[in-house]
Amino acid sequence: MSWRGRSRLREFIQSFTAFWHEFFRFKSGVVGLVITIVLVIMAIGAPFFVSEEAYRNWDNPSYWDTYPHAVPPAWIGYVTGERYAPQTEVVKDIPPLPTQIVSFSFLYNCTYDHPPSDVIFLIESTHRNFSCSLKLRVERPDGEEIVVLHRKYDGGLLRILFSTDEDIRKSVWEWAQKYEDPETVSKILANPEMLSFIDIPHIVFMKKGYGMLFERTGVLEGTYVFNITMIFSEIPTPPPGFHVRAVFTGAAYGLMGTDARGRDLAVGIVFGSRLALIIGLLTAVLSTVVGVLYGIVSAYLGGWRDELLQRIQETVSSIPVLPLLIILAFVMRPTVWILALLLVVFGWVGPVKTVRSIAYQIKEETYVEAARAVGCSSRRIIAKYISPQILPYMFALIALGVPGAILTEAGISFLLGVEGVSEPTWGRILHDAQAAGATMAGMWWWVLIPGFMITLSGLAFVLIGNALDRILNPMLKR
Amino acid sequence: MRALWRYLLFRTLNAAIVLVIVMLVSATLFNDMMEKIVRAEIDEIVKQQVKTIAQQQQLNETQIRELREELRQTYYHQYGLDKPKWYRILYNSWRILTFNLGRATSMTSSSGTHEVSDIIVEAIPNTVLLFTTGTVISLLIGLFCGLYAARNPGLFFDRFISIFAMVTYTLPMWWTGMLFIYLFAYKLGILPSGGIHSIPPPKEPFAYFTDLLWHLTLPLATLVFVSFGSFAYVVRNIVLGTFQQDFVMAARAKGMPERHVVYKHVLRAASPPIVTMMLFGLLGSLSGAIITEAVFDWPGMGRLYWIAVEMNDVPVLLGLTFVFTFIYLIATVVVDLIYGLLDPRVRIGLMAGGK
Repeated sequence: MSWRGRSRLREFIQSFTAFWHEFFRFKSGVVGLVITIVLVIMAIGAPFFVSEEAYRNWDNPSYWDTYPHAVPPAWIGYVTGERYAPQTEVVKDIPPLPTQIVSFSFLYNCTYDHPPSDVIFLIESTHRNFSCSLKLRVERPDGEEIVVLHRKYDGGLLRILFSTDEDIRKSVWEWAQKYEDPETVSKILANPEMLSFIDIPHIVFMKKGYGMLFERTGVLEGTYVFNITMIFSEIPTPPPGFHVRAVFTGAAYGLMGTDARGRDLAVGIVFGSRLALIIGLLTAVLSTVVGVLYGIVSAYLGGWRDELLQRIQETVSSIPVLPLLIILAFVMRPTVWILALLLVVFGWVGPVKTVRSIAYQIKEETYVEAARAVGCSSRRIIAKYISPQILPYMFALIALGVPGAILTEAGISFLLGVEGVSEPTWGRILHDAQAAGATMAGMWWWVLIPGFMITLSGLAFVLIGNALDRILNPMLKR
Repeated sequence: MRALWRYLLFRTLNAAIVLVIVMLVSATLFNDMMEKIVRAEIDEIVKQQVKTIAQQQQLNETQIRELREELRQTYYHQYGLDKPKWYRILYNSWRILTFNLGRATSMTSSSGTHEVSDIIVEAIPNTVLLFTTGTVISLLIGLFCGLYAARNPGLFFDRFISIFAMVTYTLPMWWTGMLFIYLFAYKLGILPSGGIHSIPPPKEPFAYFTDLLWHLTLPLATLVFVSFGSFAYVVRNIVLGTFQQDFVMAARAKGMPERHVVYKHVLRAASPPIVTMMLFGLLGSLSGAIITEAVFDWPGMGRLYWIAVEMNDVPVLLGLTFVFTFIYLIATVVVDLIYGLLDPRVRIGLMAGGK
């Protein structure tokens, strides 16, 4: 490195340390910086924190089959002091047996205030050369036995979901009728649609008695046995083996809970930070660069050209951005990158006025006049004499431009959150929450966390931007 | 005065240009979708007509086919579908710019018509009701808090307002609405979660009015909560800046009572920028209100956007874009005019016949 280069480097380091010292005086700026660093770590390290495969399958409903639907985060137990059933999965491989009856059972020890939200059996046979009748019985700790399912099974993959299976619904309801208040039963029989509000997998774990259909009797604790019996009309050759997965989905799940389709919200939210940061930063950087250059050029040129540029800027800035963005996004279904560019098309006008007035002052300085007198070209004056004065301030403008971009993107995703087209952004998660009526169903985690992330990331950049503005704004320095 | 008129004319012209640009862009974007809708409509009409004519005149297969083709061409001609693309885009833009908004594909107004203008017109008053009351209340609270903070700079309240303004600035209004619904409608159950009145609405006028107020409370509270902080912060900064002016020092040096200084000198000098800042803030929050309405199921223009998107109703979307842009631009011109009249520098410049 040449002598000159080294001294320049030293100069740069010196001014950088000076800036740093000043920045650290602003507590709020430091807080903003820390939040931003956390967000950046979250965005870059997303695949390390949550499963990338789950993220790619966000819009694939069958991927989320065995996840609990609409349950709060797993740490909820520490807050409420109640016991929530965790997600439990048991896998059994039944070897091929040349018998007429194949029978196996799963034990589930329920010692929770909130029983599993669903019970799922996935049975897969090695061959499809048979036909049998399959019976699923539940033996409860109080000695009750419910035959919940009796069905023909011809091999292949069989999925049994307690929450949605009509036969299970019917048999559990018939069993519960024996112990429920006759008045309630007749009321439900008169209004069969009331049945759809009853949570069947939960009733299986309830104590018998009046009010059990509405889960007022409390959970019956103890060991439950789920028996599956297959009876073949004739012994198949070769005898099939079975691979059985029993899933007792949690009453609470993960760090951030799940949505109504069972999607792990932590996945969407952690990966959502990438999109929010990309949109926010890309939009802010591009629109600030364009806007600052526009402002400097406008001020430097002056006269009728300045006038014309200002009129153009005013025209663009009086366009109502949101309705136009809504229809643009509606028709084009843009990717994240295109959306950021669209935001730049309307966003570059933001810093123009401020920058122009600063550039006007600098233009009148004697050293600029001197440069002009010496015969410097316009491009050189703008690049070497005016821009360096404004350049540091650009960082403040960029930081202050990020929240607007993040908020606008979130708003558009919220309004148009169409699945399968865009990635799961925070705004889209909130769209799904709104469409599913999450607020009035009490699913606070689905609403609170994504919105909190939007606010937090916006706030971080406002804090940084305000601190930078105080340090770097040439108008405040004078 | 002449200069003022010229200024106003220029602003109006500017607004008109923006309106035309926005409509051209939207008509271009929606052209293919609109065309598909019109073609489907024509096919439907032609089918009906061919059926009746064929029954009356006992036509055979080829005659029916010819008749169908002939009718279709007439309608295509009538709707301009045989013209080049640019012509249709211009035609559509012109149609909408002359307030001929067409028919919705699937949405209906409460009176049952399919006219887009009916659907939008009945939504406008609801938006105006929620939005103007909300803005007026937040302006008043903002003014009061900002003044108080500026008179006691550095104290707890002043710091609180600054932080509060920063946080609420990054708070999406619609998300705050969702939180408020969760808190007040779901948890506490003291306020309705959405809608503009109970179902069925009470018949008696007084009961109807209180019912409306009851439903208005939550969206209004959201709007005020999110916007008054920024207003207060702006007022605080402007007033604080005015306090440092020389004429205030002079007034104090004269021994003028502090209350006099604040209300007669500082506020008078600070009011033009305060009013204009607030007016521009008002314009800015108009967009936020659009999405918030969808959250509260408030039957205004914002909720129409939500429904039109869900139902894929392109004519309604196009009409909404036009009406919203139109209202927004009128508001911009009014704000600019008020700005011109209030700011002495601008006003005198205008009166003197300058630019």
